[in-house]
Amino acid sequence: MTVGQLKLDNVKKSYGDVEVIQGVSLDVKHGEFIVFVGPSGCGKSTLLRMIAGLEEITAGDVVIDDKIVNTLPPVKRGIAMVFQSYALYPHMSVYENIAFPLRVEKKSNEEVDEKVRKAAEILHLTPRLNHRPGELSGGQRQRVAIGRAIVREPSVFLFDEPLSNLDAALRATMRVELTKLHHDLDATMIYVTHDQVEAMTMADRIVVLDGGNIAQVGTPLELYHKPDNLFVAGFIGNPKMNFIEVTGKGSDKDGVRVEVPNAGEFTLPVTPHDEDKIAGQKLTLGIRPEHTHLSEGDIALNMTANVVERLGIHTVGYANRDGVDEVFCTVQSGSAPIKAGAPFQLRFNAKDCHLFDADGKVYERKIEFKDLSLPDMN
Amino acid sequence: MINKYRWWEIVGIYLGIAVFLLFILAPFLEAFLVSLRPLNRINSIPYKIITDGMSFEAYFTMWKNVPRLPLYIWNSFFIATCVTIIVLIAVVPAAWAFARFEFKGRDSILAAFLAINMVGGAVLIIPLFQLMRDLGLLNTYMAMIVPGAAFLIPTAIWLLRSYLMKIPRELEEAAWVDGASRPYILWKVILPIAMPGIVVVAIATFIGAYAQQFLFALTFNSNSDLHPLPVGIYQFFGRQTVVWNEVMAASLVGILPVLIIYIFLQRYIIAGLTAGAVKE
Repeated sequence: MTVGQLKLDNVKKSYGDVEVIQGVSLDVKHGEFIVFVGPSGCGKSTLLRMIAGLEEITAGDVVIDDKIVNTLPPVKRGIAMVFQSYALYPHMSVYENIAFPLRVEKKSNEEVDEKVRKAAEILHLTPRLNHRPGELSGGQRQRVAIGRAIVREPSVFLFDEPLSNLDAALRATMRVELTKLHHDLDATMIYVTHDQVEAMTMADRIVVLDGGNIAQVGTPLELYHKPDNLFVAGFIGNPKMNFIEVTGKGSDKDGVRVEVPNAGEFTLPVTPHDEDKIAGQKLTLGIRPEHTHLSEGDIALNMTANVVERLGIHTVGYANRDGVDEVFCTVQSGSAPIKAGAPFQLRFNAKDCHLFDADGKVYERKIEFKDLSLPDMN
Repeated sequence: MINKYRWWEIVGIYLGIAVFLLFILAPFLEAFLVSLRPLNRINSIPYKIITDGMSFEAYFTMWKNVPRLPLYIWNSFFIATCVTIIVLIAVVPAAWAFARFEFKGRDSILAAFLAINMVGGAVLIIPLFQLMRDLGLLNTYMAMIVPGAAFLIPTAIWLLRSYLMKIPRELEEAAWVDGASRPYILWKVILPIAMPGIVVVAIATFIGAYAQQFLFALTFNSNSDLHPLPVGIYQFFGRQTVVWNEVMAASLVGILPVLIIYIFLQRYIIAGLTAGAVKE
């Protein structure tokens, strides 16, 4: 038996006729940090609660450490959960809050004390043990909630949007602390968030959910560079990817030829999966704002800037292409010469483009992953 | 500022409050004044607030006139306390179930509780009498405690349920994930957090029990040792005269226990009635 393994096998959940989880399968290895991300209503929290045992499973299997746990109560599943609202008991001290699961198990006082103090040590809560939750800051409360999960020594940690009640600065700090904690505990963690920055920064692998289905599973950089479909392409990345409607012209060994309105015909280096159908088809070209330039690039588009945000480190411009309503976003250097109300030309390279078919499925980009991945640090 | 009023609005608000207070407090004031008057000065025409010979004499003579007055006060207190304890034991788990669990017929049962409240005890007094007789409870404390508790439970469930619904569900889920059983969660998590709400329910029940015992005592009990104060007061009603000043004095003394409890627990009532109204 391997500890900390989690497997979802075609898991479904319906409320009456409404299927909110439509068959999710996923394999999680020991020690992985998995993030479920998606817009609100995509079913990410429901899925987490099904793993926790707080929601019934309509069909399929949840397997933890090689054991089907579908009907087991939460405590027998070997999981611990941290809630969005912390769910601390307001009438108990920090010490008793952390000790709660151990008290339930009727552990001896010495054992409780040892484990609580160890958890408090890890989470820097030792000086706070005698305080009530009401006297703590948001970050400290969240650490107490994590402490309560740690003392149970579960095989899988479940986090339900644990940082969304914190302010931006604290969230950044807690992100780092959680990543460190994951490293120190060497535990499997499943983490739900709607914040893609949390997903990108903390995850070993991200599961993007869309309407009760998995849209894509992959490492953060896989999702960024090779999104499988329009949904993932639009969801991952900030500001969000620009989409341009183009017409397919055909394909050859170099890629797919498309006609970009008001710009001409270009060959994009992607692998077609339906060569014979490309000609004449409406396709969607995606280009990230950070991959657009003012001077160089194969493809040039004329547009007029509406709003220019100067953030110091870079400039974010929102512009309208001639004759198109949709706003086009570009990220430039901090001193980029664009001005609200003034026309300018924006360029980008064919190799940076993503191309999606009429159903929103991607034509795989011809890029090598090892060129993109981070240098090996070990 | 939403709370900024013009002077005439403020005058209007206080005038309104004064009218209501007058309606509520005037009987108490009159009762107090009557208790101070000598018997032959009670009905004075035209009405005079201050009459000759006002004194606290009735407060002393009433104990001699009705020697069992302390017993009646004790009975009232005892019956109300028993009713409150029974109601709390029944209502806390029931209100939790109604607040948290989905089960068949939950909403119709809740609606039925309201309906029962509308009917009230007086309408059901004859069937209740038969029931008490068949159970052999007539002329016992139980005859006053059991129906008293039964009629107060529905309101208490409604009151406490709405309080418990404001306790975040995640607290229970967290405890459940940590392996706590339902009774353990109720005892260790819900009860301490719901304490202000429970105190409110206890006080409301106690006051309710204190007020409603007259009807049940009058119909189900003829043993004068067990009479609560409202019935005991009848002993001041003689063949020829009613000793009004002593009746009023005894009534006011009888209210005292409730008043004292109320003053001590007032801060809980205020906190309980407004808890959860604003984000904390």
